[in-house]
Amino acid sequence: MGHRRRRCKRRLLRVARYLYRWFTGTLVEDSVVEDGELSTVCYRPEGLDQLLQQTKFTRRELQILYRGFKNECPSGVVDEETFKLIYSQFFPQGDSSTYAHFLFEAFDTHKNGSVSFEDFTTGLSIILRGSVTEKLNWAFNLYDLNKDGFITKEEMTDIMSSIYDMMGTCTYPCMQDDAPKEHVDNFFQKMDKNKDGVVTIEEFLESCQKDENIMQSMHLFDNVI
Amino acid sequence: MAAGVAAWLPFARAAAIGWMPVASAPMPTPPPDNRRKQDGLILLNVSGQKFQTWRNTLERYPDTLLGSTEREFFFHEETNEYFFDRDPDIFRHILNFYRTGKLHYPRQECISAYDEELAFFGIIPEIIGDCCYEEYKDRRRENQERIQDDEDSENQNDMVPPDMTFRETMWRAFENPHTSTMALVFYYVTGFFIAVSVMANVVETVPCGTLPNRVKQVSCGERYALAFFCLDTACVMIFTVEYLLRLMAAPSRWNFIKSVMSVIDVVAIMPYYIGLVMTDNEDVSGAFVTLRVFRVFRIFKFSRHSAGLRILGYTLKSCASELGFLLFSLTMAIIIFATVMFYAEKGSSASKFTSIPAAFWYTIVTMTTLGYGDMVPKTIVGKIVGSVCSLSGVLVIALPVPVIVSNFSRIYHQSQRADKRRAQKASKAAGQALVCKANPMFDTHHNHLLHCLEKTTNHEFVDEQTFETSLLEVSMAKHPPHSPSLSSGSSSQGLSCCSRRNKRKSFNVPNSNMTGGHRNSIQELSTIHIRERPITNSRSSLNAKFEETVPLNCKQPYITAAIITLPMPPVTRPEDDGSASSPDYSQANIVRVSAL
Repeated sequence: MGHRRRRCKRRLLRVARYLYRWFTGTLVEDSVVEDGELSTVCYRPEGLDQLLQQTKFTRRELQILYRGFKNECPSGVVDEETFKLIYSQFFPQGDSSTYAHFLFEAFDTHKNGSVSFEDFTTGLSIILRGSVTEKLNWAFNLYDLNKDGFITKEEMTDIMSSIYDMMGTCTYPCMQDDAPKEHVDNFFQKMDKNKDGVVTIEEFLESCQKDENIMQSMHLFDNVI
Repeated sequence: MAAGVAAWLPFARAAAIGWMPVASAPMPTPPPDNRRKQDGLILLNVSGQKFQTWRNTLERYPDTLLGSTEREFFFHEETNEYFFDRDPDIFRHILNFYRTGKLHYPRQECISAYDEELAFFGIIPEIIGDCCYEEYKDRRRENQERIQDDEDSENQNDMVPPDMTFRETMWRAFENPHTSTMALVFYYVTGFFIAVSVMANVVETVPCGTLPNRVKQVSCGERYALAFFCLDTACVMIFTVEYLLRLMAAPSRWNFIKSVMSVIDVVAIMPYYIGLVMTDNEDVSGAFVTLRVFRVFRIFKFSRHSAGLRILGYTLKSCASELGFLLFSLTMAIIIFATVMFYAEKGSSASKFTSIPAAFWYTIVTMTTLGYGDMVPKTIVGKIVGSVCSLSGVLVIALPVPVIVSNFSRIYHQSQRADKRRAQKASKAAGQALVCKANPMFDTHHNHLLHCLEKTTNHEFVDEQTFETSLLEVSMAKHPPHSPSLSSGSSSQGLSCCSRRNKRKSFNVPNSNMTGGHRNSIQELSTIHIRERPITNSRSSLNAKFEETVPLNCKQPYITAAIITLPMPPVTRPEDDGSASSPDYSQANIVRVSAL
C-alpha cells in the first residue's frame, strides 16, 4: 500500500513541477534520468576453470568462444532482442525471430530473460560435445515449449511454422500455408507410437535412434568450434 | 558487424541441430573444415609505435595489404616483426577497421594524408562508416574544389589553347567575360545598354511639361517620341545581335533556346519587332500597348550579370511549396473574415461591404496591417470582428515568414546535402561491391547451413527477382516453349506457382559478399543432394484455392483448374548455372501449373 502511495505522490510532484515550469516559462525537460536505474548492466562470467569443469570444451575453445561473445555483447549477457538480431543476420530471406525466440528459451536455462556466457557454453557443450542421447534430449527440450515433458501437436506446429518462416516467401516450390502442418503430421506419424497425440521423450528418443538420417545428422556440426 | 557475424556463425550452425529430428531428408555433408593454424599474435611496428593483433583479425580482409601476403614484403627478420614506415596516428584507425569492421575518419587529420594512408594499405574509402562518411566526403570535395580553383586561376593566365575553334572561343567569351578584354568590353557594353533601356522605359512615362498648343501634360515619351524611338531601336539592335551571337556560339543550340535566359532575351526584344510589324492596324494597337509592358523584362537580363539574382530565382523556385502554403492559409483566413465581416455589416446602412468579394479587399488590407481606410466597419460587431481580423492578421502573416526563411535555408542546404548523399550512395554502393571479401570459409559454412534449412523444409531458396518474374511470367499468357506435355488450361483463381528456375539465390549477409567464385562451391553442394525427392504437395492440395501472393494479371472470370505433372526435366533456361546439376533432374517430379 505504501508503495502505491509513494508512486502517487511522485506523480503528483511531477505534475506540480510541470505546472510550475509552465508558468515561469521554462519548459525544458529534465534530461537527468529520474528513476535512478543503472543504464548498463555489467556481468562477468565465472572463472575459466569452473567453466572447464562444467563444459566439455578445451581451454582454447572457451577462450575463442568468449572473445566472440564479448565482442558482440560487451555487457556480458545477451538479451532476446540482440539474440534475434544476430540470428536474423544469417537468414536474411525469411523471418527468423520466432525460431530465435525458441532457441533463446532453450538456452536461457535460468529463465531470467538473458543468456549469460555460462548458459551459452553449457548449451553449446551439449550440442557439440555431448552424446547423441544428450543432443536428442536438448532437441526435445527445444521442441517442448512449455517444458512439461510432452510435445503436443500445437507446440510442434509452432516450431515447424517458425522453421518454415525462416525460409521466407521466395522459395521453390512456393511456400504454401499448410506446408508446416503437413510436415507436422508426418512427424507425428513417425514419432507418436501409441497415437495418443503427444510425443514423450521416450518415444522421441526411440524413433530418432531408429532413423539413420537423424543419427547421422546429429554429428554434422561437431567440429564447428 | 562483419567480425561479429562471423564469430556467431558456429553458434548458428550448432543451433541447427534443432532442425535435425524434424527433417525428413538427409542433410548435405558439411564443407571440409581445414583446421586453421593456431591463431597467433602479429606484431606491427609502425614508425616505432608497436601494434599487436591476432593474425585472424588481419586476415578478415584478404584484399588489403595487411590481410594478404603483401605484408610479407614488410617483414623484418632481425626483430621478427612487420615494419611500416608510415604515420602511426592514422594507422590506429586502419587497425581499428580490422577489429571492428568499421572505418572511421578522424576529423583532425588532413584529408589528403588520410587518403594516402588508405591507398597504401589497400583500403577503399567507400567503406567508411555512416557516422563519418559525410564528413569525409565533404572534406574531400572541399579539398578538390580548392585544388580545382588553384588550377583554374593558373589557367586564367595561360594562353588560350590555339586549337579551340572560333565558336568555342566565342562561347567561352560569353560565359566567362574575364577571359579576354574583348569579352569584358562586350559584357560591360551590354550591361550599359540594359540599364539605358530600362531607364528609358521609366523616363518615358514621366510628365514633361506641356506642348505649346495643348493644355494637358504630356509624358516625355510623347514629347520626344523620336529620340526615345531611336534609343529603343539601338538597344534592341544590340540585344538582337547579342542573342544571335550567343545562339551561334552555343554548343547545343536546342538547350540554349530552352534555357530561361534565352526566353527572357526573346521576350525582351519581341515587343519592338511586333510593334514594327503592326503599327498601322488600329485594332491591334491596343494589344500592342500592353505588349510594351514586357519590355520591363529587360531588367531580368541583369541576372546574367549578377549571381545574386540567379540565386534568388533559384531559391524562390525551391521554396514554391512553402509560398503556396502561405498563400493558401492567407486565402482561408481572408475568406473566413470577409464572410463574417459581410454578415456583420449587412445590417448597417450605406455599408461599403456590398458583397463578400468586396469584403476581401478590406480583409487583406487589415490583415497586412496596411489599413487604407477606404472601407471601415460601422457596427459594433463589425468593429470587434475587424479588430480580431487585424490581430490575427499579424499572426498569420508574421508566423509563416520566418518559417519560410528558415525553410528556405534548410531546403537549400538540405537539397544540396540530399544530392550529395545521393551521389555518395551510388559511389558507396559501388565501393561496397568491391569491398574486401570476407573470409571465404565463412561463406561456405553459411551456405551449408542454408542448405540444411532447405533440406529440413523441402523447399529451396529462390531469389526475389526470379521469384517475381516467374510469377509474372506464369500469370501472363506465356506458353513455355520447352514443355511439350503442358496442356493448355486457364488459370484457377489465385493459383500461382513459381516456375522452375535454376538460378541460385544470392544473399546479402551484411559485409559478407558471395562472389562468383563461391557459386562453384554452391554447385558442388547442389550436386550432392539429388533432386529426386518428390514434392510433398499432393495433386489434391494443389487443386485447392491458395491465397494469392501476387495478384494475377489476367482478369478472366471463368475458372478451370489445370494441373500438369511434368515427368521430364523442365527448363534449361539460359541462366542455367551448371550443367552438372541438370542430369540429376531426370527423376524430378515437378508439378507445374500454367495460368493463361
